[in-house]
Amino acid sequence: MTTDNSGDVRLSGISKTYGSFTAVHPLDLTVPQGSFFALLGASGCGKTTTLRMIAGLEEPSSGSVHLGDQDVTHLPPYKRPVNTVFQSYALFPHLDIFENVAFGLRRRGIKSVKKQVEDMLELVQLGEQARKKPHQLSGGQQQRVAVARALINHPKVLLLDEPLGALDLKLRRQMQLELKRIQTEVGITFIHVTHDQEEAMTMADTVAVMNAGRVEQLGAPTDLYENPQTTFVANFLGTSNLIEAEVDSRNGDEIILKAAGAKLTLPGARCSAPATAGGKVLVGVRPEKVSLTHADDAGEVPEGRNRITGRIADSSFIGVSTQYVIDSPVCPEFEVYAQNIDRDARLTPGAEVVLHWNPAHTFGLDAAQDIDAGVETVEADEGVAA
Amino acid sequence: MAFVNWLKRNLVVIAGLLTLGYLLLPNVIVTVFSFNKPKGRFNYEWQQFSLDAWKQPCGVADMCGSLSISLQIAIWATIGATVLGTMIAFALVRYRFRARGAVNSLIFLPMAMPEVVMAASLLTLFLNMGAQLGFWTILIAHIMFCLSFVVTAVKARVMSMDPRLEQAAQDLYAGPFQTFVRVTLPIAAPGIAAGALLAFALSFDDFIITNFNAGSTVTFPMFVWGSAQRGTPVQINVIGTTMFIVAVLFVLASMALGNRRNRQKA
Repeated sequence: MTTDNSGDVRLSGISKTYGSFTAVHPLDLTVPQGSFFALLGASGCGKTTTLRMIAGLEEPSSGSVHLGDQDVTHLPPYKRPVNTVFQSYALFPHLDIFENVAFGLRRRGIKSVKKQVEDMLELVQLGEQARKKPHQLSGGQQQRVAVARALINHPKVLLLDEPLGALDLKLRRQMQLELKRIQTEVGITFIHVTHDQEEAMTMADTVAVMNAGRVEQLGAPTDLYENPQTTFVANFLGTSNLIEAEVDSRNGDEIILKAAGAKLTLPGARCSAPATAGGKVLVGVRPEKVSLTHADDAGEVPEGRNRITGRIADSSFIGVSTQYVIDSPVCPEFEVYAQNIDRDARLTPGAEVVLHWNPAHTFGLDAAQDIDAGVETVEADEGVAA
Repeated sequence: MAFVNWLKRNLVVIAGLLTLGYLLLPNVIVTVFSFNKPKGRFNYEWQQFSLDAWKQPCGVADMCGSLSISLQIAIWATIGATVLGTMIAFALVRYRFRARGAVNSLIFLPMAMPEVVMAASLLTLFLNMGAQLGFWTILIAHIMFCLSFVVTAVKARVMSMDPRLEQAAQDLYAGPFQTFVRVTLPIAAPGIAAGALLAFALSFDDFIITNFNAGSTVTFPMFVWGSAQRGTPVQINVIGTTMFIVAVLFVLASMALGNRRNRQKA
């Protein structure tokens, strides 16, 4: 990272309300120069509104937006050193690719744009298409034009509003890597809005998970995934098995919990809720961290692992792994993903099993929350606002 | 049997051709009769081929004068109605204001109103205002009834425009004026052009409203109507045919332009 901070984005207490509806609650956020930052959340969580406030397309109801040391809160979009890649690209249909890319340069009164535009089209591998109209290009190509059109202006910050939402899965994977490559190459700050958690985790250095106009949690992708602080993050980012448990005792750094007869251990550092004896917490564990052993071999399960019993309700083979749904007393739909290395032929629906995992992979959440927050969020296309 | 099969296979084409014929037959008649040499004063029966009328299109007293007035009125009415109508259309689609819904429906009223009623009430209005009937009253009336059509045509286009295009322009350093000139206007242009053409055609051939509010001014449709009582000069057909050819050339030119653009792109 350089010491130059002109590409820092600082949001201080910005909020946006439409009448009585609050799209974004007062929010503080700092995105350091040169980072790839993702705002992740479901439709209507306020992520796009936040982005539009940085772009200047939406005036914050309160708070301020700083780029580096400059207060840009009240600057119109055309005076901000920020460019946006819009959802569905918003390429100018009446201009060819060359003129689309040259648009920003021309508006700033730069006369000799040819070289720059050609270089930029080369960067996104569209040199051949310069004289075509946007509708003659494929979705992936249009997307790259949108990126080129924004990047050519050397903005301090590039904003990406669900830029890959319209592409099919394979192309999306390809473009994710492509965008990441471009970001590394040009080194400017990228702020990326998406509802696709995999996309956010693949591309971003830092992810802010938003829900109902608030940032639920912010951190590196691995940190968010391994140590979710709220049920929303636990469920929205991947899948979590959450069990309601009662705090039995505290033993040094370990919290001992009881859930339907099972005794579970939770490292104190991984519990984001106050755990007092007799109180309740939600115990979570990711499906791929859990091992399955047939009940007949229960004795082989090593000591010191968290263990619960159950019966296989369903199993689906998906090639690289098998996904089991276990009906257990603590949780009616406990999910387990097992790598297909040595498959135990007895693990079929109906079989009694022991589920066990390393206590270090357990996390604890405040039991006062909705246990299902963030589950099965419908990925609808998000509108302009909110 | 073979014929029935052939008919079945080509039914759509046949129906299409028949409809096209139905649409174009009047134009064909107008054109054919522009080469007629009628015996009496009425050009209703084919006598013999002649180029007389084409050689002297303005050979009839007052006809070309009325044509010139009609063209002037049509051009000014088109400009006036297009500018005002485009602004109204943008306002109705882009802005939320009090009574927007009411304005939206009121705009359609002149289209739904029987023309003869509107003509009579306009005359009443002009007389009460003490306005002198003539070129200006015709122009005012034409702009008024063309407006609704322009608004409708432009509105449809503006509604289908993605507001993100203008936001993208602003994001790319275009101020409000640049955004309008470089992005909004070019994209709305087909709708505006359609509205303008419609306004021109409506104004040029309007008879009823014009007739009520013209005073002593005579437009081309009024001239045709007036002469139809006393005899129809062949030159009327010449003017009609010319208008038709100009319109066809206009369409062909725009199609050729579109084709060339498409070929360039490919």
